[in-house]
Amino acid sequence: MPTSTRKGPASVPDPIATAMLARSPVRQSKPLRQEAGWEVSSADTGAALELADLTPITKVLVRASSSAVGSSFSDFGRARRDEAGHLVVGARPDEWIVFGKAGSAAATISQIEERLAGAEGLVTLVDVTHRDVVFLLSGTDARGVLEKICAIDLSDRTSPDGTAFRSRVAGVSCLVVREDRDGRPAYLIDADRSYGQYLFDVLVDAGAEFSVEVAGYTEVF
Amino acid sequence: MILLPCPHCGKRNSNEFSYLGESAPRPTETGDAKLWRAYLYTKENPAGWTRETWLHSGGCGKAFLAERHSVTNEVRATWLPGRKEPDTTTEAGS
Ligand SMILES: [Zn+2]
Repeated sequence: MPTSTRKGPASVPDPIATAMLARSPVRQSKPLRQEAGWEVSSADTGAALELADLTPITKVLVRASSSAVGSSFSDFGRARRDEAGHLVVGARPDEWIVFGKAGSAAATISQIEERLAGAEGLVTLVDVTHRDVVFLLSGTDARGVLEKICAIDLSDRTSPDGTAFRSRVAGVSCLVVREDRDGRPAYLIDADRSYGQYLFDVLVDAGAEFSVEVAGYTEVF
Repeated sequence: MILLPCPHCGKRNSNEFSYLGESAPRPTETGDAKLWRAYLYTKENPAGWTRETWLHSGGCGKAFLAERHSVTNEVRATWLPGRKEPDTTTEAGS
């Protein structure tokens, strides 16, 4: 049987050694650094409107009936911080996503397990950190950017601080959470990882008229 | 923009939803092949009020039932499967 002969460098990088560093699907702007085993950007902008790739943050999916979870979790359509600083988001009527510090998945899961120990019925916990991308769009004009590519009414009356919803952003099914930072509107946008670069590019494009700048990874948990 | 009211999320852009077709009572397990064939393939497709299943695929991911007018696109009721159906027979517009 004829076989092809590999041409080029004789040695290829060891895939095991290089796979130890996790990467977001979004191209990172230099300079780069490492954060909890992820390659992240440490770019600093100081701009009034910033877009940052926060994909390394911990994301834990919780599925349970709302009666089982009770009041220990946020309501559907709302997001709030728990005592440990996690952001607990009511993403669907029977589904929550808990965001936390990068690299804290195991600790986050055991804390949730502890809290839901008395819950009736089945509860499912899955670490989906590597399934999704998360972007942070923050600044006075953040709403203006999002309004261009999302059909939800983002006014303070219908979507105040602490609002969470699933809808399409630039055609992509996303979870959007508003959690204002320093008195300015800020939105966390969570989507399937495979849409990451596209969604990021669309946000940069939509933000161009508001002078959005791409910021590096920032700690929000 | 055509708005469709999801029982969970409220009024949303129709492009967030997937149409799952006319809804009809499912035959019982003992139903014969004729009944199943009618259930699966025979649709009323009226020019008027129709009862349909929609999936909020781009939102909460849940399915619900809707009464929609196939000519005017008016939606007079939406409700969750297994819940009591709203009484729309006396309302105007039918
Ligand atoms: Zn919905």
